[in-house]
Amino acid sequence: MEKLQADIYQTFILKDNYLYFIKGLRITLIVTALALILGVVLGLLVAIVRSAHDQQPMNKRGLVLRVLNGICKVYLTVIRGTPMMVQLLIMWFVIWNTRATDGNLICCAVISFGINSGAYVAEIVRSGIMSIDKGQMEAGRSLGLNYVKTMRFIIIPQAFKNVLPALGNELITLLKETSIVTVIGLKDLTKGAMIVQANTYQAFVPFFGIAIMYLALVMLLTWLLGKMERRLRQSDIR
Amino acid sequence: MIYVKDLSKSFGNNQVISHIDTHIEPGEKVVIVGPSGSGKSTFLRCLNLLEEPSSGTITFDGEEVTSPNTDINKVRQHMGMVFQHFNLFANLTVKKNIMLAPVQLKLMTKEQAEEEAMRLLKLVNLEDKADVYPIQLSGGQKQRIAIVRSLAMNPKVMLFDEPTSALDPEMVGEVLELMKQLARDGMTMVVVTHEMGFAREVGTRVVFMDEGVIKEENTPQEFFEHPKDPRLQDFLSKIL
Repeated sequence: MEKLQADIYQTFILKDNYLYFIKGLRITLIVTALALILGVVLGLLVAIVRSAHDQQPMNKRGLVLRVLNGICKVYLTVIRGTPMMVQLLIMWFVIWNTRATDGNLICCAVISFGINSGAYVAEIVRSGIMSIDKGQMEAGRSLGLNYVKTMRFIIIPQAFKNVLPALGNELITLLKETSIVTVIGLKDLTKGAMIVQANTYQAFVPFFGIAIMYLALVMLLTWLLGKMERRLRQSDIR
Repeated sequence: MIYVKDLSKSFGNNQVISHIDTHIEPGEKVVIVGPSGSGKSTFLRCLNLLEEPSSGTITFDGEEVTSPNTDINKVRQHMGMVFQHFNLFANLTVKKNIMLAPVQLKLMTKEQAEEEAMRLLKLVNLEDKADVYPIQLSGGQKQRIAIVRSLAMNPKVMLFDEPTSALDPEMVGEVLELMKQLARDGMTMVVVTHEMGFAREVGTRVVFMDEGVIKEENTPQEFFEHPKDPRLQDFLSKIL
């Protein structure tokens, strides 16, 4: 017991080591939040293009829509078909290829994770859009609302509510997956623990420490998502 | 009001409607009956282009609906449609269901639309349901609200696609009653239905469709008492 106390002291208090964790946590949260926003925006756009294309009868698909759909399909295939870590390495060492400042690293991480997450969000949202009864779109259109307005006011809100659990899952995955930014040298929460471990020769406390922190974050997110889900379920209560 | 010329529609190799010509005049109540699969719903859905006709033209109020240059959204504002499965917007309350289109299409301000929604809800005795979601309503209530949702757009014609087919028998009456009231108020109506009583009572013209063509059309009295087409005679003998 005393040994554990000493280890905790060494890991967190000595030489202000706790700063590694706090700064790391900050970076993890920033990357997750910004990548989430980018991912949802990208995913929504791709999902709308894909489902607009699939719901249109063959002969009515315009050239623009067909080209956009093609681009989206390539995007989905490539992003979902390659490992996140490889995408990150390519983005940083091949495409970015500049000085390793924190700002640069964070930007690169946000864009990589955003693009990656967008592919998964796109398929989640598309499944949501496809699950809405055709009659909802027809009713909107029959009143004279155009496609975009019907999507925006009728289809997307219902689709979003239906896929919220799956989106929450994606968010949790994203939060945990950001730990691989260590490979490009961004000092996130995981990197912080690795640095402390290297300095103190202690592995148990730092790694279990961050495991608990990730877990706590995920539990917090789950709770928040649950609350949001209950609020959106209002229209389902008989 | 609506001129249909040589209208055909096929899904793949399956021709559902072939070469229909007809004219719907203002104030008319046209009731379309026929066996299932006869193309009557498809015909109705072609009128506001929910189904794209394969060939032929439809002209509504002097404007060719089927022309690619026509803004179909504008046309649809004047053609109300009521569906078999109501299709109320599940994510909106009853009042917002009615308000959405007039407000979004900038035909009314929010206040005007709200006032109009409440007036229409009073008309169907459902003003107490203004703030509930569609899932909490019975089928008959949903369909009555679907009808007034269309009415909020002040349509020149109303299309009904089997409006009572998905209802419990005891709810059919309240929906038909509202439709009769509309008819009395002079609304032009095109109704696809299996309710022969309604056809007889409200229709000014009854149309029998079978295998994608209009086999017979006549006044209700002639239609039901002296059917000429053998397929219609057979059809009527089975359902009356």
